[in-house]
Amino acid sequence: MPIYSAEHRRLMETFYPDHHQEYSEVLSSLGAFMEKELLPLSPRIDSGEVKMAGPRKALLKQGMCQIPFPEEYGGLGLPFSVYAAAIEMLGTAEASTCLSVEIHNAVAEGLDKFGTDAQKRAYLPKLLSGEFLASFTLTEPASGSDAGTMATTAEKRGGEYSINGSKMFITNAGEADLYLVFAETKKGPSCFIVEAPNPGMSFGEDLRKLGMRGSRTSEVVFSNCRVPEGNLVGEEGKGADYAKEILHSARIIVAALNVGIAQIAYEKSLAYARQRRAFGKTISEFQLIREKIADMKTEIDAARLLYFYASRIKESGGDYSSEASQAKVFSTEMSLRVCDSAIQIHGGYGYTTDEVHRHWRDARLLTIGEGTSEVLRMLIARRELAKLR
Amino acid sequence: MKIAVCVKHAVDETELKVDSGGNPQLKGAPTKMSTFDKNAVEEALRLKAAHQGEVVVVTVGTPEAKKTMKEALAMGADKGVLVSADPMAMDTRRTSELLAAALKKGGPYDVILCSEGSSDMYSGLVPPMLGELLGLPYVGYAKKIDVNGQSAKVERALEDSVEVVEAPLPLVVSVVSEINEPRYPTLIQIMQAGKKPMEDLTPEALLPGAGPPMPLVKGMKAQAMARKRVVFEGPPEETAKKLVDALAAEGVLPR
Repeated sequence: MPIYSAEHRRLMETFYPDHHQEYSEVLSSLGAFMEKELLPLSPRIDSGEVKMAGPRKALLKQGMCQIPFPEEYGGLGLPFSVYAAAIEMLGTAEASTCLSVEIHNAVAEGLDKFGTDAQKRAYLPKLLSGEFLASFTLTEPASGSDAGTMATTAEKRGGEYSINGSKMFITNAGEADLYLVFAETKKGPSCFIVEAPNPGMSFGEDLRKLGMRGSRTSEVVFSNCRVPEGNLVGEEGKGADYAKEILHSARIIVAALNVGIAQIAYEKSLAYARQRRAFGKTISEFQLIREKIADMKTEIDAARLLYFYASRIKESGGDYSSEASQAKVFSTEMSLRVCDSAIQIHGGYGYTTDEVHRHWRDARLLTIGEGTSEVLRMLIARRELAKLR
Repeated sequence: MKIAVCVKHAVDETELKVDSGGNPQLKGAPTKMSTFDKNAVEEALRLKAAHQGEVVVVTVGTPEAKKTMKEALAMGADKGVLVSADPMAMDTRRTSELLAAALKKGGPYDVILCSEGSSDMYSGLVPPMLGELLGLPYVGYAKKIDVNGQSAKVERALEDSVEVVEAPLPLVVSVVSEINEPRYPTLIQIMQAGKKPMEDLTPEALLPGAGPPMPLVKGMKAQAMARKRVVFEGPPEETAKKLVDALAAEGVLPR
């Protein structure tokens, strides 16, 4: 099945009756690229045999990250949902590259939304063309979802800020050219651009992870890391608001990424169920396997609709924070269920073969990263209960 | 240098379904640019990069063929020409006549490129017919093309050998897939392709007074291939020899 599938095409026709053809051209071309240049490399990226940097660069050059950004900075000016669909496809083709690209684009979105004109002109064209890779540095060793306990500081001295502290579990650390760093100032959490290399910035070892093994994750340490005051993004003291906004949007994207992971685990299961024989027939003929197939397909489609719905609210300028959280909670947990069923359908081969269980390993990250399921449920419930006041 | 590339908007053979009676389900099947045509477009773009000039993409197709045209334009072609007719409803001779007339109208071209055959019907008849109809030399199955001044040196990939020929320009060349690796258009190129010029031509204007095309034989069936399931048993040194002998007897080993 092609990565840009008939399901995607139908979705575009339904949501964009006037422009679906144009969006489909963009997505099918990108899908063809991913199918040929990324999908076959995915097992070798997982095993560490192939570094993802080369294919990722090629993908960014194709224009993957340009999709939702304004044309004046080198973007394509297309709807956010089109970008989300592209992320889903990338999740199918190569999940860890998708994680890296998703973080990169979250930074670009943050700069587009909160950066000064000078910052946008200086960095967005480089980020959108893939000349620069970006990293989002918020989480700390002792503070994750609870951003109020941030220990990293930025002190203003003359025309500069000096950043001190450390950040943990940072995707693209050590590879990125631009770091969006959150640190406490006198006015509260603030957001800074740090360009690499910087003598005040160093990186820990690449962390060995359960999944998403192609993407580099490590600690980033700031020790008198000096940046010009012009690198402050937006206003001092507003960093927490910016981070929240960036993460709301990223949650839609993470939901799309997980739909992509579930999709490939499902397709492999479908193919295997059709060819594996037991008791004189293929296992796809057994009702209990059919139940799994029906549930997997239904849940994938439901999750796809949820992220599309949240995307469309975002495009229309409405408050999509709760819908983004719902999409992320449902999609990330759904992909774990689907990938678990995939292992079950593949039996012993599922448990012992990277080609099956790596999708579960990849999916496992995302009920934790970019807002845990627990925190997001808290946000969804808070919003619902507030309606009764 | 003025280069024309003839392309076809074809059924996506990788997505083609066959019904229980062995008939291919062409209606509603996904479509795309015929697979090897991308190699022809790529070669045209490489020739343009080396010799300057213009690349014009020509196709006979239904309005849906504009998708293929746009893809070729996104890859880097400069202009598209669509002859509005359904190639699946006519014989290859009529397709070739329409292409030849469109090429005469927009020409003269120095090089006319085609692929060795379309990925749906794969008759491979159009390129030589074009040569004949235009009165130009035709070189088929090119795996390398070097244009030098007013002639081209072409390496032809034949079944078990490579033939090198030299022919004067203008000429018609069909290419095989090993000639190059087609580029992927970037997303910006895809978005901008719609702004490039596209000319619409009709069969009536190109071939006034032409009668109806030759009727097509109705019905196609997928070729059923039965496996012979031959198993050689014994030690490897014996079975290897038996296998080689059997393959030689089948005529599938190179001469």
